[in-house]
Formats: sequence, structure tokens, C-alpha cells
Amino acid sequence: MTERTIPLTNITDDLPCDSAVEVCTPGEGKPESGITRRKFVKNTSGMSAASLLGTAALMTNSDDAHATSEWAEWFQGNYRLMSDEEKQEAVDRLERRYSAEYGKDVTVDTTPAQEGVLFGYALNIQKCIGCRRCVKACVEENNQSRGEAQETEWIRVLKMEKGEFSEAKMGEGYPDDYGIQVGGNAYTAAGVVIEGEHYYEPEKVPEEDSFYMPIACMQCEKPPCVKVCPVRTTYREPDGIVVIDYNWCIGCRMCIGACPYWARRFNWGEPNLPKDQMNPVTHYLGNRPRMKGVVEKCTFCIQRTRKGRYPACVEVCPVGARKFGNLLDPESEVRRVLASKRVFRMKADMNTYPKFFYYVD
Amino acid sequence: MRVLDTGIRRSTSACLRVIRCGVLVLGLTTAATSVAQDCFESRQNASKVTVKESADGQVNVKCSETTGGVLWWGDPYDATVPMGEMPIEADYDHGEAVVKSRTKQLAMFPVCGTACHNGTFPPPNDDKTPRTLTMHTDVVPDATNLQHGRGAIWCLDCHHSETRNHFTDHSGNLIDMNEPQKLCGKCHGPAYRDWRGGLHGKRIGEWASTGKKRWFVCTECHNPHDVQQGERNSGFAQLESEPAPRLPKGLENADHERHHGGH
Ligand code: HEC
Ligand code: HEC
Ligand code: HEC
Repeated sequence: MTERTIPLTNITDDLPCDSAVEVCTPGEGKPESGITRRKFVKNTSGMSAASLLGTAALMTNSDDAHATSEWAEWFQGNYRLMSDEEKQEAVDRLERRYSAEYGKDVTVDTTPAQEGVLFGYALNIQKCIGCRRCVKACVEENNQSRGEAQETEWIRVLKMEKGEFSEAKMGEGYPDDYGIQVGGNAYTAAGVVIEGEHYYEPEKVPEEDSFYMPIACMQCEKPPCVKVCPVRTTYREPDGIVVIDYNWCIGCRMCIGACPYWARRFNWGEPNLPKDQMNPVTHYLGNRPRMKGVVEKCTFCIQRTRKGRYPACVEVCPVGARKFGNLLDPESEVRRVLASKRVFRMKADMNTYPKFFYYVD
Repeated sequence: MRVLDTGIRRSTSACLRVIRCGVLVLGLTTAATSVAQDCFESRQNASKVTVKESADGQVNVKCSETTGGVLWWGDPYDATVPMGEMPIEADYDHGEAVVKSRTKQLAMFPVCGTACHNGTFPPPNDDKTPRTLTMHTDVVPDATNLQHGRGAIWCLDCHHSETRNHFTDHSGNLIDMNEPQKLCGKCHGPAYRDWRGGLHGKRIGEWASTGKKRWFVCTECHNPHDVQQGERNSGFAQLESEPAPRLPKGLENADHERHHGGH
């Protein structure tokens, strides 16, 4: 533990409020009391490795296999720095725990990035009909929390109004109610303004005069989330996927504040993943069950794509608006999109260099 | 951070603010969800997939209880057959290409080449003037107003006049009904070209350009007898959507997002 270069010194117990997203007010409504990961890390970061091991040994005296593996998890290293044996140990431990917990054979894969592969994604906003099948396919695949208490979805589909310009609306404009005139405006808001409706629920989609814009993690080349993570638990893999080692996440949510795409989700409570719905084919850096207090997001279905399969959202899209492949292969679908379609990246001005492209025919 | 789009920031803060209010109701929904037995793929009523367990204990597909559409693909190659011959310039043959049979989904197919259309009866007809039909009103409700081609095409531009269980190319040669792409491709060059390149339509399976893929053929998405959908003027019929995300706790409705600017 002491040899690890990951700085833990700047972690504070109570993070200052992230004013940009108005996350917290000190002392009020903190997610949970008791030992939180954050407190634990803080309290132990000053101890020597020996005393940590001692604690671990004490705890492992418990008969409870579950508790044992959880305690062992507290002491495992950052995934990136683990040796192959350490990874194997960690994975064995997790497989045992998950299998017992979910009552089926759960596998935790560690397949690394393939050489010569850089993943990219392209989405045709002209074709998207807003049916949200991608959203639900993602939940089926990636073991997100579901139900009343905590619903986690990595993809959000925004409905955009086509808007209109008309003589009848002369003098109206955005923002409607404030009487602010922006000059010559006679319209209802039009175009992609990333200010769509999240909760649309018509009888059928696509609705007239609307189009749709799904957003999820853009797997940036220069990810702001990675830059701000104080424990470097989120990082870019060689194939371009931005991953999170959930076991090292301290729940500070800096990454959530830093992400300009609203791609990250926090487990405020214990995730609810019904046994019968749990997908047992998992990757360590992907869809393995998460715990309370950690951040999660889209990983391009790392457990599938590292094994050659398309992501779940690509396969389920009924209109074929989603394309995925290797950016280094000129024959791949994404490369063909880049070569022959009109393409843009969302908020390119932020210099995040997303590997998620939007396009039209 | 300040340059964040206000929309995202606003909605993010809305939900987080609500959680801060501490109304975390813990009532885990444990109701076991029953699995629907079959579902459709892309075009409603054009295909039916039946859920079944594969050897590894997984299922071939998962169906949506809300919409009856496929929600998740376990086995992308379930019930597929090799795609077969493609024109020489086709670029799919880097990898294995499979499709699902269309004729298995067509109720009329087993009889249409023999029982009613036997090659000489009804007499092959080169007159392509739309007229009222007595048959097939279930497939084409109003033949005088075919929702494809805006009056420029009619039944026998697609269906072979003598061999009705086949389509026809521009020279009267037969096209297998399991290869509608060749039929559509004769009139829709650009879409066909994009489809061959994997841009139009969709493929599932392996992402590598050399991988095995199941291709969706044109009629799995487009209804050949209705690519206009009346007023909608769209080649793809509307679908039911999956449910909206839950509202952040404490928010009673989503009216706020319907009024841009003001609240
Ligand atoms: C644009 C080409 C095109 C035109 C024009 C066309 N069809 Fe079709 N038709 C098809 C295709 C393609 C299929 C197979 C559909 C599938 O694969 O789902 C089909 C299938 C059918 C079927 C079998 C349906 C079943 O479920 O068994 C009937 C009957 C039929 N067409 C009648 C007609 C009639 C009558 C007309 C003229 C009013 C017509 N078609 C015009 C392309 C066409
Ligand atoms: C004989 C020629 C012909 C064939 C074969 C044909 N189409 Fe068409 N298609 C047309 C014409 C003509 C139009 C009308 C274009 C327009 O609106 O002016 C059209 C329109 C369409 C449209 C709407 C296009 C748009 O821009 O709105 C779609 C979608 C379409 N066809 C799909 C298909 C599919 C799928 C098939 C194969 C089952 C097919 N077509 C076969 C001639 C054909
Ligand atoms: C996965 C579903 C899917 C498949 C498979 C598919 N299409 Fe389409 N196609 C669409 C959608 C969605 C649109 C957009 C419809 C709209 O804009 O209303 C479209 C649009 C079209 C159009 C209108 C012009 C355009 O390019 O937007 C044509 C023509 C067309 N398709 C032909 C074909 C042909 C020919 C094939 C087979 C070679 C095919 N499609 C296969 C989903 C599909």
C-alpha cells in the first residue's frame, strides 16, 4: 500500500459543495452515516501497511465469507497497479462473492485492451426516434440499479423541439417570460440546445416536430473526469474506454462535476439489482455489481466489446442509428461514417475530444 | 465549468437537489418481472422472436414488457441463415454475413406461387395502372393509393408477374423473397450502397469488419407497401417508447422542461 503512488492526501472527509451542480450542503442530508468509504480511506491513510494488514487479519476471522471478501476488497490495490496475480486474486474473490449473492455463476472478466484497437461510436441523430430501447438495453446489460429507491440509467435521450419561426410570434423568443429581447426573434426554441425534454412520454415516437438526441459517456480523449479524480480511480484504457475501478472510488463526485456531458451517475444508496435480472457476464472495469458510494457510467459495454461483440445499445436500436467499431480500421462502420457523412462532436469547444460522434446522412 | 450548457446543469442540479432534501424512500421493488414470451425486432408485426434459453443458461433475447420489442440480444445469430450471393461489388465478404429468412414470416408465401398465381392465371399483366383489388386488402388497404412511390410504381414493379413467389429485377429476372435488398436496391441506389457498407440499417454480432454479423434486411424495418405513413411521410412506422426515467424525488411532474426559459 505504501508504495503506491496514488495521492490520498488531498481527500477531505466532507467535500466542499460543488457549487456548479449544487450537490451538497455541509451537514445536511449527507447520503449515509456510519463508515463510508471516504471516511475509511481517510482514517486509514495515515496508518502503516502493517497495521492495515493487522486489521484485515482480524476481520477475516469472521465466518462470514461475504464479509471476508468485502474486507479483502478494502485492501486491494488500484486495479491499474495490480500484478496479474493480484488481479486474479481480486477477481476470484469477487466471483465468489457475486455468485453467492446472486445465486448464479458470475464471471468477472479482466480481458485487457487489444492492440491496434481504438473504439469509436457514431450516432445518427437523423434516424433516432427516441424510443429509449438503448436506455433499457443498457440497464439489462450493465447491471444498473433499478426500482423506486434508486434508478440508474447511463443513457439519457433528450427530445428536441423543431421549433418555429412565424410572423405570429414576432416579438416572442427565448427566454419567453423574461421580456428579454434578443433582436428580431419570432420563434419557439429550435435546434440542438442540449436543453431537451428528458421525461417525454407520448403514445408513439417519433412525435411530430421533434427529434431526439441520446447522450452518454463520450469516452473523451482528454477526459475532464480523469483529470479531476483525486485517487486516479478513473482513467483511460489503451483502447480509449474511460473506466472506473469501483473499489478505489471514494465517492467524492468531482468527476460528476467535471463532466460536461452529464454522463456519470452516483450510487447514493445501495444499488438494487434483482437476482433474476442480474447479468452474470461481467468485466471488472464494467458491469460488475457496484456498491453504495461509487460513481458509474457507460464503458462502451467493455465486457462485450473486449470480446468482440457490439455494445448492447447498438444491437437493440430498431432504426440502426448506432454504429460502433475500431477507429483504426478504415473498413469499420465508424470510420465509414466519418468518411462519408456529416459529423459533429458534442461541445467540441471544451477540448474534450469525444470519441462519440453524431452524424446525419 | 461555467460554460456548461445551462440545460444539463439545471436538470442535474434539480435531481441532486431533491436527493439532498433527504426523501430517500426505501421501498425496493422486488416484484419479480415475468418474461414476455415473444417480441418483435424493428418493425412491428414484421418479425417475431421467441425467447428461449441457450446452452450457457442465458437467453437469446429479452423482451420489453412495456412495448413488446426486443430489449437485449443474447444470441445475435439465433435462427439465421447465410446471406447468400451478393453482387460482385458488395463489400460484406470480409466477414461472415447471416440473415433471417423473410419467407418464414410471410403468411401468403407458401401458397402464393401456386394456389392462386400459377404463372398463367391470373394472366400476367403488364398494365401497371393502379386499380382496386379484391384481394390483399390486408396487405395493401388501398391499392389505388399505394403508399410507396407516389404513383410511380405498382405491384408488378416489385412482384414478378408470372412467378409470384419471387420479386423481379429491372430485366424481369427472379429475385428470391429472402433477398429484398436486391429488389429495393434496384431503385434505391444510395440507401443500398450505405446498407452494404453497414451504415444504413443495422447489423448485430461482432464489431470487427472481419467479424460475423447478422444483417437486417430492408423489409425488417420498412413496410414495402407503406413507406410514406400518410402525413408523417416517413419510411419507418412509429413505435411505442420505453418508459421515461423516474422523476427526481419530490418533483411531481416534468412541466418545467416544457417551458423553455420561463418557469
Ligand atoms: C416496392 C416493392 C413492392 C410493391 C410496389 C408491392 N409489393 Fe408486395 N411485397 C413487397 C415485398 C418486399 C414483400 C415481402 C415483405 C416482407 O419481407 O416482409 C411483399 C409482400 C407481399 C405480399 C405477401 C404478404 C404476406 O404477409 O404474406 C402480398 C400479398 C403483396 N406483397 C401484395 C402486393 C400487392 C397487391 C401490391 C400492389 C398493390 C404490392 N404487393 C406491391 C414489395 C412490394
Ligand atoms: C420500382 C422502383 C422501386 C422499388 C423496387 C422500391 N422502391 Fe422505394 N421508392 C420508389 C419511389 C419512386 C419512391 C418515391 C420517392 C419520392 O417520394 O419521390 C420510393 C420511396 C421509398 C421510401 C421513402 C423515401 C423517402 O425519401 O421518403 C422508402 C423508405 C423506400 N422507398 C424503401 C423501399 C424499400 C425498403 C424497398 C424494397 C422493399 C423499395 N423501396 C423498393 C421506388 C422503388
Ligand atoms: C434497421 C432498420 C433499417 C433497415 C434494415 C433498412 N432501413 Fe432504410 N431507413 C431506416 C430508417 C429508420 C430510415 C429513416 C426513415 C425516416 O427518416 O423517416 C430509413 C430511410 C430509408 C430511405 C429514405 C431515404 C434515406 O436514406 O433516408 C430509403 C430509400 C431506405 N431507407 C431504403 C432502404 C433499403 C433499400 C434498405 C435495404 C437495403 C433499407 N432501407 C434497410 C431503417 C432501415
